[in-house]
Amino acid sequence: MSNSFVSLQNVSLAYGKTVAVSNLDLNVRKGELIALLGPSGCGKTTTMRAIAGLMSLHNGSISIDGVDMSRTPANKRGIGLVFQSYALFPHLNAFENVAFGLRIKKFSRSEITTRVGKGLTMVGLSHLAERKPQEMSGGQQQRLSLARSLVMEPKVLLLDEPLSNLDARLRLEMRTELQRVQRDTGITMIFVTHDQSEALALADRIVLMKNGAIEQLGTPDDLYNRPATAFAADFFGFENIFKVSHSKIIGPNGDIPTGFAADEGHLAWRPGAISIGNGPHKGIVRGVAFAGEKREYVIDSMLGQIKAFVPADQTAYAIGASISFDLPKAGALSIPETQ
Amino acid sequence: MTSTWISRMIIFITLTFLIGPFFIIVAAGLSAGDFLAFPPKGLSLKWYIKVFEVESFRESFALSMFLAVFGTITALVLGVPAAYALSRYNIPYGETIKTVVAAPIIVPGIIVGLALLRYLVVPLNLTITLALFLAHTALVLPYAVRVVSSSLNNLRSDMEEAAVLLGCSRIGAFIRVVLPNIQSGVLAAFILGFVTSFNQVPVSLFLSGPGVRTLPIDMLSYMEITYDPSVAALSALLALMSVIIIFVAEKFLGFSRYV
Amino acid sequence: MFQNRNEGLALALPAAVFTALLFLLPVGILLSEPFQVDGQWSIQGYIDFAFKPLNQVVFLRTLKLGFLVAFTSAIIGYACAFCIINLDGKHRGRVFGMVMLPLMISPVARTYAWIVILGRTGIVNDTIIGLGLSDTPIRLLFTETAVFLGLLQLFLPLMIISLVSSMENLPKDAVSAARVLGANWFQVFMRIILPLTKDGLVLGGTLVFTGSLTAYITPAVLGGSKVLMLETLLYQRVNVANDFVSAGIIATILILMSFGANILLKRVAGTRS
Repeated sequence: MSNSFVSLQNVSLAYGKTVAVSNLDLNVRKGELIALLGPSGCGKTTTMRAIAGLMSLHNGSISIDGVDMSRTPANKRGIGLVFQSYALFPHLNAFENVAFGLRIKKFSRSEITTRVGKGLTMVGLSHLAERKPQEMSGGQQQRLSLARSLVMEPKVLLLDEPLSNLDARLRLEMRTELQRVQRDTGITMIFVTHDQSEALALADRIVLMKNGAIEQLGTPDDLYNRPATAFAADFFGFENIFKVSHSKIIGPNGDIPTGFAADEGHLAWRPGAISIGNGPHKGIVRGVAFAGEKREYVIDSMLGQIKAFVPADQTAYAIGASISFDLPKAGALSIPETQ
Repeated sequence: MTSTWISRMIIFITLTFLIGPFFIIVAAGLSAGDFLAFPPKGLSLKWYIKVFEVESFRESFALSMFLAVFGTITALVLGVPAAYALSRYNIPYGETIKTVVAAPIIVPGIIVGLALLRYLVVPLNLTITLALFLAHTALVLPYAVRVVSSSLNNLRSDMEEAAVLLGCSRIGAFIRVVLPNIQSGVLAAFILGFVTSFNQVPVSLFLSGPGVRTLPIDMLSYMEITYDPSVAALSALLALMSVIIIFVAEKFLGFSRYV
Repeated sequence: MFQNRNEGLALALPAAVFTALLFLLPVGILLSEPFQVDGQWSIQGYIDFAFKPLNQVVFLRTLKLGFLVAFTSAIIGYACAFCIINLDGKHRGRVFGMVMLPLMISPVARTYAWIVILGRTGIVNDTIIGLGLSDTPIRLLFTETAVFLGLLQLFLPLMIISLVSSMENLPKDAVSAARVLGANWFQVFMRIILPLTKDGLVLGGTLVFTGSLTAYITPAVLGGSKVLMLETLLYQRVNVANDFVSAGIIATILILMSFGANILLKRVAGTRS
């Protein structure tokens, strides 16, 4: 695949006897920003570490820019990695942290000064060049860690949960920062996250992982609007997922006809797609939460628990109230059964 | 990342170097022959049995036990209040007292033994047993204070204040609140003191006399005369005893927290 | 509640007084003895001591072995500590316990094992003769090598424990980060591990060095009178020649070195940024 810049073929990874990733095939295009997304334990971080060379392959091969790197040690792969913990060196100041890799490569002193200067400027930390990492804020530390990797001009930049440690405001700043860096440098970026909104906002393509394998691979639009499995649907916000057979929804307390023709498999609705107030189905309100623009309801019904979001200006129902609702065809996502 | 194979080899080799000799002694003591050799020529328990029959070993063992137990208890009686004072109060000369109490660890044992012998035991004409007792107590005291201090530092002092507010007297608060919570620390100090005292050689070297010797000293002088496997057997038994004590301590107390 | 300082003092005093009387006083007198020659204060005793060749040899040998053991244990210690750190929790605890074990066993027992290994009829000699490398047993006991090995075995656990403890405080992922940035293992050690575990190294080094200086049993059993170290020399001078002046001088030297090492330790530990 000439289009593939980072290629994983039939990769299996294990910790001792525990298998973390099995038979993974993945092709990352040059210049792409791709997200490895999934719950903890799905194998995303393990895969990232394998690409970096910090984890040996049990099976399969990894190549970068056409060169097989399966056996190449971590310090010779030309890859950058921004750790979740930042992994800054506490005994070195900001300048020296960023210069570390350049010194190893024996760049000349003037070259180092230039590159580090540029790196620090790019992340807006030139005024803190003398500071030690411990004396910086979390956001600054992360930018420093980013600069340290970027000055090496790596072929691929890996980021482990880059936004998880940040508060909401910093998260937005960092997201913009990452996108800008990627546009300016054109580096191929792979980042790992458990947060679907991060993946949706940043990535060109998303790799949704589960139990060491790829669940679904596609653009944010693909995954958000057309999740292919119940797991993916649940992950991307379809909180009401039901098994469907012969156009009947199989509930824990009985079956209900859907009211329209449906494929075998699952049907899913986002909380916002449920209509409250009138409809063929009945339930009891178990929880209400006011969330500014909407009200969030948790309803007990024959189909189990239903989550519904309703615009706040509609009539409010109290806990314990009887309520009727509809699962309209319009908002339904069909997840056909796969063989 | 690192090759786990190499990693395991390094640890294995190091542990062999550190612990291997112990197994060698155990095996050497099982020798059926009359000379010290490894691998042992034939297997027999006779040397292990002989150890119990030698009278001087029995006596010196008893003495060592006595010193270890009562010396450590005395050290705790002196040390627990001191540790408490150092950790809870801001005593005048606190730093000095800390240094004084910790001093015996810094000074080589043989010097302590010699000094005690010459300037305390002889002039005051103390009995050997008493001298040994005092010396062992003094040697264990710093360990006792250190371990108990460590335990106390982990215990917040507002517990005692709460107890006092609820009506306890100061001593009552100490007994009801502090002691139960530093129990394992005290126990750990006891075990550490016991082992230290039991294995102590340099100090006991000078202070021991004919007929009154601690077990290690007895073994040393025996070793100078005979080369038979009984010393190996005895060493093995003593090592085994230490191992069992520490193992039990770790299992029930999480001993390593305090050391 | 803990404001009454005198109350505290009263609690701590018994221990302090006990130690002072039983320990500081006698040792103090011992140390002052060499300064008294014929009832006068003089350093003649020290001068005489310093000029005797035997004393010089013993002094230098003690220092040499001290440094050698400290250095060797540092190298082995780092290797071992690094491997231990990379083990997972359960195994780490067990290995750690096994490393600490020798510390709890009587030095007599530990040293004795070397006799079995290095003696004329010991393992090493049996192997050498068996392999045909020599016709007669080689003298391995009562050599500096024997003392070196004995001391190394005695104090290596201290170094390992000290280094593991300080390596545990390495920032997570620092080593991985350095690797990804291109450093080979030597560079990782020199630029990241060593600077950040300096404290552990100094602590371990001090413990091992002072331990080796002041060890008695190991040099006594494995070195005998052929390889005298300061402590065994002290014992010999007192027992054989009733020479308390030498004893006092040696004691002073040992205490000063021990003390000096401890001060160095506090200084380094205190300069943590």
